[in-house]
Amino acid sequence: MSKLRYLVIYLSLVVALVLMILPLPDWVQIYRPNWVALVLIYWSMALPKRVGLWFAFFTGIILDTSQGTLLGQHTLALVIIIFVNMNFYQRIRVLALAQQAMYVFALLLVNQVVVAWVEGVMGRPTPLLAFFGAPFIGMLIWPWVFVILRDARRKALLS
Amino acid sequence: MKILLQARGASLQALFFVVISVAMMVVDHRFHHLEVVRTNISLALSPLRYIVSLPATGGNWLNDWFTSHTELLEENAALRAEGRILNARLQKLEILAEENARLRSLLGSARKIADDVIVAELLSVDQNPYRQLIEINKGSSDGVEIGFAVIDDFGVMGQVIHVNPQSATTILISDPEHAIPVQFVRSGTRSVAFGRGSTTQLELRYLPATADIKIDDDLVTSGLGGRFPPDYPVAKVTAIEEDRVRGFVTVLAEPKARLDSSREVLVIKPRQ
Repeated sequence: MSKLRYLVIYLSLVVALVLMILPLPDWVQIYRPNWVALVLIYWSMALPKRVGLWFAFFTGIILDTSQGTLLGQHTLALVIIIFVNMNFYQRIRVLALAQQAMYVFALLLVNQVVVAWVEGVMGRPTPLLAFFGAPFIGMLIWPWVFVILRDARRKALLS
Repeated sequence: MKILLQARGASLQALFFVVISVAMMVVDHRFHHLEVVRTNISLALSPLRYIVSLPATGGNWLNDWFTSHTELLEENAALRAEGRILNARLQKLEILAEENARLRSLLGSARKIADDVIVAELLSVDQNPYRQLIEINKGSSDGVEIGFAVIDDFGVMGQVIHVNPQSATTILISDPEHAIPVQFVRSGTRSVAFGRGSTTQLELRYLPATADIKIDDDLVTSGLGGRFPPDYPVAKVTAIEEDRVRGFVTVLAEPKARLDSSREVLVIKPRQ
């Protein structure tokens, strides 16, 4: 019964994954925010005991498979940002949405640095626009992600 | 104290995951031990891919449904006419094929004219902006294997780099990591065409400045390297850039295949 309530976490991650693999026109593609990272950040903020590094690790592997990136690339990035978040969430949770969004931008940028770094090591430099564009869009979207997931969490009676 | 211990535990755990991730990346990049993991997760994710492809499929279906009667009639007539013309050409072709086979047997060469093909459809496209990959709906259960060439009705699209039971990942010739051995039809010069990450451009590097190349020259697969069967159209030369200092020529070519819009593709089984 209580297990069932956590379904909302998995469900939101599945939706994020679908949004990540949804085909988009080339010029929009590079601005696609990292939905999975956004959703994961939310849950690790709301339920830090439940959604931690293990969660980040397995989500990362699934994301890597679905994105066709090196196995471990997004995993590393997600583990790092969730670890950072674990140390800050208590201070961030109480901030206004706009301030939170800036913090999320920083996290997404760290995520992007790791992913782009691995791409760079393999000889595929990331264009500058894509590097800053996607986290920026992620920042703009954060308030909506936050509100939607908070409502979902309250409906599912998770605290 | 307890909080401190917890914090240290989390750091250790994080370090552990970081090490594992880096190790996985190295293993994945250098070796192929993780293919099993990838295949299984991919298989589990295939319903998601299906969901993602639904809007496009649904759109096509609606489009078909509402195509008006007269349009269908017109199309039918046009297709009939085209069919007749093609049939006429085919007769000629059959004769030519026979003649060719006869001549080849005279020459003692055992090359077959027709290749075995598997018809496949596109499932999803290029989830990663840095790569040019497509997913097709035929996999190992249909006989697709790694290394098979993939073409559409206009030319070579790419080759299969990863196979699941029901689907396969294909790297397009325009991927920056892909190179395809080609030959100029007119002059016979051989070269290698590299992808540049754009679906409209391939690059042929370090050709000698004296090579006989003109704009609009056609490029076909040379068959060298054994991956791609010979004589399939690949691209058309669009630009020739001379490097006078080093005496080299770089040629840009536009792929013949519709890399960004083909939905039906053919997977070619290599000849034995």
